[in-house]
Amino acid sequence: MIHYDKLFIVFKREYLTRVKSKAYILTTILAPVIFLAIFLLPAIITILSPSTVRTVAVVDETNSIVQRLVEIDSTFYFDKSEEGIESTRQLVAAREFNGLIFIDDEVLEGSKAAEFVYGSSGGVTFVERVRSDIRNTTREERLERAQITDEIRDILAMRTQVSTRIITEAGEEEQDTGALVFLGFILGFIIYGAMFAYGGIVMRGVIEEKTSRIIEVIVSSVRPFELLLGKVLGVGALALTQVFVWGSAIGLISLASGSILMFFGGFGGSSADAVAAAEADLPFTIPTIGADLIIIFLIFFLLGYLLYSALFAAVGSALESETENQQLTLLVSLPIIIPIFFLGAISSDPDSTLSVVLSLVPFFSPILMPVRAAIMNVPFWELALSVGLLFFTFLGLMWVSARIYRVGILMYGKSASVKELIKWIRYR
Amino acid sequence: MSVIKVEKIRKQFGSFVAVNDISFEIEKGRIFGLLGPNGAGKTTTIRMINYITIPDSGSVLINDEPASPESQKKIGYLPEERGLYKKMKVGEQLLYLARLKGMTDKDARNSLRYWLDRFKASDWTKKNLGELSKGQQQKVQFISTIAHDPEICIFDEPFSGLDPINSELLREVIIELNQKGKTILFATHRMEQVEQMCDDICLFNNGKVILKGDLSEIKRSFGNNTVKINFSGDGSFIDELKNVRINNRSSNFAEIRILEDGLEQDILGTAMKHVTVTHFEFVQPSLNEIFISTVNKDSNSSPAKAS
Repeated sequence: MIHYDKLFIVFKREYLTRVKSKAYILTTILAPVIFLAIFLLPAIITILSPSTVRTVAVVDETNSIVQRLVEIDSTFYFDKSEEGIESTRQLVAAREFNGLIFIDDEVLEGSKAAEFVYGSSGGVTFVERVRSDIRNTTREERLERAQITDEIRDILAMRTQVSTRIITEAGEEEQDTGALVFLGFILGFIIYGAMFAYGGIVMRGVIEEKTSRIIEVIVSSVRPFELLLGKVLGVGALALTQVFVWGSAIGLISLASGSILMFFGGFGGSSADAVAAAEADLPFTIPTIGADLIIIFLIFFLLGYLLYSALFAAVGSALESETENQQLTLLVSLPIIIPIFFLGAISSDPDSTLSVVLSLVPFFSPILMPVRAAIMNVPFWELALSVGLLFFTFLGLMWVSARIYRVGILMYGKSASVKELIKWIRYR
Repeated sequence: MSVIKVEKIRKQFGSFVAVNDISFEIEKGRIFGLLGPNGAGKTTTIRMINYITIPDSGSVLINDEPASPESQKKIGYLPEERGLYKKMKVGEQLLYLARLKGMTDKDARNSLRYWLDRFKASDWTKKNLGELSKGQQQKVQFISTIAHDPEICIFDEPFSGLDPINSELLREVIIELNQKGKTILFATHRMEQVEQMCDDICLFNNGKVILKGDLSEIKRSFGNNTVKINFSGDGSFIDELKNVRINNRSSNFAEIRILEDGLEQDILGTAMKHVTVTHFEFVQPSLNEIFISTVNKDSNSSPAKAS
C-alpha cells in the first residue's frame, strides 16, 4: 500500500530542489547552445574564412595535359614547361608556387605515375584537388588519343544513382541509411549518457541522505519504498524536463538555423537554400525524425531510466560515500556499457538474429532498441515484447532494490559487499 | 493506559539477534528511560516503535493499535544519528518534514512559526542548513522533531554531541512537553540525566530486558546500602575496606557501595580512625551503580552471545 500524499510530497521535493539548482539550469540552457555551436560553427567558419590563394606550376613534356589544366583554372595552374623541371623545382622551393606537376609521355602511356611535388603548405583539399584534376585531364587526353567516340565517352562519364527508400505504412520514404545509422547512434548515446547521469543523480541522492543521516528522520515518517519511488520519479521528471527543453531547443534551432546561416553567409536566396548549402557540408542528409521514433525513444528512455535508477538507488544505499566500493558501481554500470560494443554490429545488420535478441534483452534494450528503430522499421511484436520484458524486469528489480534499500539506508559504518546485499533481500 | 506497548518483540539480522523477546509498556504522560550499553538493542527497539523496521515476531502497539504509518504521525523522533539536508533551506526542509508527518501546509507553517520564534531561529529560514553553526543546526533538528506536536517523543541519546546551552534548552523543552501531557521515551547509556528526569526505566543488555519498572521503586529495592562520606586527611584507608565497591572517589569524597549487611558502622569507625569525617550519609545507590551491577550480574550469569 502506497500513501500517495506522502509519495507526492517526496516527489515534489526531489524534483523542485533539483530543478531550481544552478547546475541544472546551467546545463539545461548551455547544452542547446553548445549543440547550436557544433551545428553552425563549421558552416559559419567555412563561409567566413577566406580561402588561401594557391598556385601550381606544371611541367608537361607532352604539352597536352597542361593545356587542359590551365583551361580548368588559369589562376591556379601555370605552364612552366619551358623552364624545365629543375628550375621550376627551385621556384617551388622558393615558395613562388605551392606545387609542381611533372608529366611526360610515360605518364600518359600509363607506365609511370605523374609527379606532384608540393611545399610544406599542403592541405588535404589542395592535394585532393590537384590529384583529381590530373586524373581527369590525363583520362580525357588518353580517351582523345584513342579516338573514342562521344557516345562511349558519355557512357563512361555516366554514373548510376542509387536512391534508398524505406517502405513504411505511409508509403515509401526516401532515407539515407548512413544518416539513419548516425541518428540511431545519437539516440543510443543520449540514452546511454542519460542512464549514467540520472542514475547517478538518484544514487548521489540516496548517499547524501544516508551520509547526512537525515534518512532516519525521513523513514520515521515515510515508508522506505515511498521514499525510493518518490526519488526515482522526481529525478525521472527532472530528466523528462531536460529532454523536453532540449528537444524543443533542437527543434527551434533547426528551424532558425537557415536564417542564421543566411545572415552570416549573405545568401541571396531563401533560408531553405542556406540550409541546403549547410547540409551539403555534412556527409549525409539530415533525416526526418518521425513521431513513432520519438515515442519509441521516450518509452525506452523512461523504462531504461526506471530500471537503472532502481539499481543505482540500491547500490547507493549500500555505500557510505560516493568514492567507496567502486566495484559495486562498476557492476551496475556494466549492463549500460555492454550495449555500446554492439552498436556497430547492430547498425550494420539491424535485422539479424543477434540484433533482434540483443534488443529484447531487458538491460540492453533501452539503448539498442531505439538504435534499431532509427535504422529500420522494427516489427511491432518485437517492440511490444521488448517493452513488456523491460517493464516486468523493472518491476522485479524495483522489488529487489527496495528490499536492499530499506536495509542499506540504516546500515552505517561501512560499505556493504555484494554478498551482504543478497543477504539483505531475505531480511524480513 | 499504555501509550506504547511492546510485546515479545524479536529482531534478527542474519545470525545476530539484536532484540530478543522484549516486552515493556509506557504509560501516558510518563518519562521513560530505555537504558543499556552500546549494542544492547536500544536503537533497534526504537526503530520498531517508529515503524522504521518491523519485528520478526511480537508486536508493537501504539495507543492499542499496531504500529503503522498512522502511528508514525503521532511520534516525534530524534535519532542518535542526526542530520538534515545540508543544501536545503531551513524553512523548506522543516516544512517538508512536518508535511511528511501528515500536517497540512497551513498547520505546519503556523507550528513552525511558533517553534522558530521560541528557539530564536526565525532568521535562518532562508539559509541553507550547511551555513548554520553546529549548535544552530541542533536547534533546527529539535524543531523538526516536535513541530508536528507529537503525542509521543522519542529521543535516542538526546544529549550526545549537544553543547551545554542546547543541552539545557532540550531539557527545558522535554520537561515542558511532558507537562503538556506528552509521553517521552529516552534511550541512553548516560545515567545522570535519566536519573534526573525519568519516571520509569527499562534496562537492556544483549538484546534482553534485565530490569524494568518505576525508577524510585527500583532504587528503593536496591536499599540504602550506599555510603557517601566527606572527609579531610589521607584517604588511603578506603583501599583497605573489604566487601565494598567504590563508585566515586576524590581526595576528600567517596561513594561506597556496601556488599555485606552491617558493615556501615565498621566503615564509619575505620574512617574516624584515619581521617576527620565531615559528612556521612546513607543513600540509595545511584542509577549508574544499579546499571553497572545489574549488567555485570547479567553478563556473568549468561555469557555474552557472540555478535
